[in-house]
Amino acid sequence: MNLIIVAIGGGLGAVIRYILGIWIKDKTKERAIPTAMLVVNVVGAFGLGYFLSSFYGEIPVNAYDERPFLIIGIGFFGAFTTFSTFSVEAVTLMQKKKWGALTTYVLLSIGGSVLTFLIGFYLGL
Amino acid sequence: MKKHGLIILSIFIGGAIGTMFRYFINLHFLGVGGVIFPFGTLIENLVGSFLLGALTGYIVAKKLPAFLEKGIGVGFCGGFTTMSTLAADTVFLSSAAISWHVMVYIIASLFGGILLALLGLTLTQAYNKKSLRREGFE
Repeated sequence: MNLIIVAIGGGLGAVIRYILGIWIKDKTKERAIPTAMLVVNVVGAFGLGYFLSSFYGEIPVNAYDERPFLIIGIGFFGAFTTFSTFSVEAVTLMQKKKWGALTTYVLLSIGGSVLTFLIGFYLGL
Repeated sequence: MKKHGLIILSIFIGGAIGTMFRYFINLHFLGVGGVIFPFGTLIENLVGSFLLGALTGYIVAKKLPAFLEKGIGVGFCGGFTTMSTLAADTVFLSSAAISWHVMVYIIASLFGGILLALLGLTLTQAYNKKSLRREGFE
């Protein structure tokens, strides 16, 4: 049962990431750094922070038997955000030797996700 | 419209499978070695980066059906790797007793992920070239 819950959350997260990604690409101009997955990751980190603090009041070490944690935390927000696209987009910037854009992109992705996670976390307390 | 439906379905299935794998790996590495360190998420992000790099290199030369490409790339690799848990882990490790763990985690994720994506991309591009040459000679 837990496995089905995780799978449904993950499937939904991936589909919504895809649709939101297309929508963002459609609405924004082409920029030096890839914006769509950056926005998705930052929003997803905020969501996870908000969810964890409002549900658990902390970052739980082991909540793998808790269904809300599985469907929303591991499933939805886990799959909604992504690391593999971040890595590949960073490599693409590297191959084009756009070092400034690469640095900005890496810092914004990691720093931005940690920061919005914290903001979400404190807002949910 | 029918084509879009197939792509969405395939991303859902890929994402669901990727997430299930992530769940199993996380469970397996929970508290390994008696320390609280997100080995699971680190491994997922590194392996997923390699896979997406390899897929990206592969489809440059050889076309895959769109539903398969999106199902594996956006669905599986995207659902298998995660940035939100990385953010949560970072905050958690920063407040933990052993402070250098967070540095190790971030540096390994970042450099490892980018390096492995590059490796995957380079390997499949080399493979593409080789198979193109082979086709040319025959």
